[in-house]
Amino acid sequence: MLMILIPTLMLIPTAWASPLKWLWPTTLTHSLIIALASFTWFKAPSETGWHSINAYMALDPLSTPLLILTCWLTPLTILASQNHMSTEPAPRQRTYITLLISLQFFLILAFSATEIIMFYIMFEATLIPTLIIITRWGNQTERLNAGTYFLFYTLAGSLPLLVALLILQNNTGSLSLLILQYSDPLNLAPFTSKLWWAGCLMAFLVKMPLYGIHLWLPKAHVEAPIAGSMILAAVLLKLGGYGMMRITTMLDPLTKELSYPFIILALWGVIMTASICLRQTDLKSLIAYSSVSHMGLVIAAILTQTPWGFTGALILMIAHGLTSSALFCLANTNYERTHSRTMILTRGLQIALPLMTTWWFTASLANLALPPLPNLMGELTIITSLFGWSWWTLLLTGAGTLITANYSLHMFLMTQRGPLPHHITNLDPTHSREHLLMALHLLPLILLMLKPSLIWGWTA
Amino acid sequence: MSPFILSILLLGLGLGTTITFASSHWLLAWMGLENNTLAIIPLMAQHHHPRAAEATTKYFLTQATAAAMLLFATTSNAWLSGQWHILQMNHPLPTTLITLALALKIGLAPMHAWLPEVLQGLNLTTGLILSTWQKLAPFALLLQVQQTNPALTIMLGITSMLIGGWAGLNQTQLRKILAYSSIAHLGWMLIVIQFSPSLALLTLLLYFIMTSSAFLSFKLNNTTNINSLATSWAKMPTLTSLAPLILLSLAGLPPLTGFMPKWLIIQELTKQGLAPTATLAALSALLSLYFYLRLAYAMTLTISPNNLTGTTPWRLPSNQLTLPLAASVTATNFLLPLSPPILSLLTP
Repeated sequence: MLMILIPTLMLIPTAWASPLKWLWPTTLTHSLIIALASFTWFKAPSETGWHSINAYMALDPLSTPLLILTCWLTPLTILASQNHMSTEPAPRQRTYITLLISLQFFLILAFSATEIIMFYIMFEATLIPTLIIITRWGNQTERLNAGTYFLFYTLAGSLPLLVALLILQNNTGSLSLLILQYSDPLNLAPFTSKLWWAGCLMAFLVKMPLYGIHLWLPKAHVEAPIAGSMILAAVLLKLGGYGMMRITTMLDPLTKELSYPFIILALWGVIMTASICLRQTDLKSLIAYSSVSHMGLVIAAILTQTPWGFTGALILMIAHGLTSSALFCLANTNYERTHSRTMILTRGLQIALPLMTTWWFTASLANLALPPLPNLMGELTIITSLFGWSWWTLLLTGAGTLITANYSLHMFLMTQRGPLPHHITNLDPTHSREHLLMALHLLPLILLMLKPSLIWGWTA
Repeated sequence: MSPFILSILLLGLGLGTTITFASSHWLLAWMGLENNTLAIIPLMAQHHHPRAAEATTKYFLTQATAAAMLLFATTSNAWLSGQWHILQMNHPLPTTLITLALALKIGLAPMHAWLPEVLQGLNLTTGLILSTWQKLAPFALLLQVQQTNPALTIMLGITSMLIGGWAGLNQTQLRKILAYSSIAHLGWMLIVIQFSPSLALLTLLLYFIMTSSAFLSFKLNNTTNINSLATSWAKMPTLTSLAPLILLSLAGLPPLTGFMPKWLIIQELTKQGLAPTATLAALSALLSLYFYLRLAYAMTLTISPNNLTGTTPWRLPSNQLTLPLAASVTATNFLLPLSPPILSLLTP
């Protein structure tokens, strides 16, 4: 663990000591080396499932893919922000990189914590750097509103979680993930235990986000600078899914009954948010709503409490992390050239930026879960496990898949195909930095087709 | 103010608090409190303008009322039980009266209305003394009084948290915001005071550290309202970039120091079977968070070139010592990993 954590901390001196000319290349290289080193976590033979254990941290097949995703995303955010930040004075560029590094640090601690309170603290700790990234480096004045929404939705959900966790600790005497699943179920009064169940899950449902409590997410995505959007879609939402998977093992007899409304709401949300995508005019907002739609599937899968559900949820989380981050990067390349997120103003880009269209095409296909990408594997596993829970869910999941395909194609056709409008004929050509960025997003996705068991989680 | 007078007044402040700390007899404790009040009054009125005079008068009247009430309660306690000893209070009437008198002294809701008004009339240094040192003596007495009615302190605590949060929402004056923040923090202490006095003390000390960073950084900036915060990036860039952390620490967000007391208090409350109260308390922190967040927006997160609301002011070199500020800011932001030793230091 320290092999990754200490170099991550040492990124901060790198960011502050390197000369401005070399700031972005050195931090990029340094963080990329950390990301490559984190791949060693994949090869950790262990009989109990837990490996790399120390006093406060341990890894298991559930957290390993998410941790590696975190480490992989940091160099990509640095790569993506370079142009956005180039007009800022040096100290602010360094501060920005420091915030990204601190996010990686907190996220590693969150995903690898063995004590739930430690996880909770780190879960909350990610709020501050994200808030600062959104509200300081966003582009419009609405960013302050978005930051407030982000902070208050998340905190209002997660403060009851703290109380619920402390109740659990008072009753079982421990909050260690290593042993908690073997402890006796809580002995509470029927009504109290229902409230406790809701308290345990609400924080993660807000973070995922569940349809109905998702309003903070599109706002935050639309207003955040590119690095904020990327890290939010790729990793921060996954904190919610990870937390749900960890905590549901302790909620056992209650979830069977209580999860009904939440599964239905999540699946209904898949349809609703996908339909919202269909009529969306704002490119970033479309991608954000597409995240909500995909996360709805993940929530439903986790709440079914089956091994297939967990596996599908983890696969979809990793695949969606790479795909949505890639889409946000693509949206940002448009934004940096046209300074508009409105789709109707940025049409027909294939003529102007033909190689970019290849990336758009691949990313859109990944978003609509084309076989044999991991996205499809995740969705199919989830649909299967939901089908096992109730046959009727097929109506919702099937319609959801259909609408997802629709809006992904709509997004691709709208931005890339057709005639080029006259007002955007003199665009900057694409940079190799942007192509590298897209390649680093989509290559892992394609390579995962060859060995998907890496992201199967507990069933691998 | 002449340094001799100033040193006499500061000595008086120290002496009053020390007398109250050391006393086991109610009369002596009351004398300490009075000594404290009288010593700060000239400090409050040192700048001759109407606001300061008004603030001093208001402070004097409320403190005198509280002291009179305390004297009355302790005398009737002596009359009822024949005891002047602080630790041996067992009659509910004087105990309740004493708690309420002390609550008035430190400004707990619903006896809080004087605090924002008084703080608004003072300069930031005196304000800092008022919201830190002046709380110590009454708080030491509150810790020692054996509560007979458990609902009283919880109600005082919850009311203070909610009022501190709600009333701070529409303030534009920093000193009033800090006053409401003080009310809300004292609410957190009161809610746990009868279950774990050491935890209440820990919360008080951490609150002192956090509020000192806030007061000192506003003083270094020479700002007393939200608008003038917007130009602080031009005066002290480093402090400005740390300011959101100070404010969010006051709001109690992990992983900053301010989360430690909230976490421990919620833990203690759930241990006592008061989970709904703990949830209410935790959610009431969101109210305060809103105005801290707004300060952070104004001070740091919308700084130039993104806003044009303030013109850059004339920059004069400050002769204020920055070492205390640096120390308190560090403590405000990074004490959470040290919670176990801090907790064991304060637990008897």
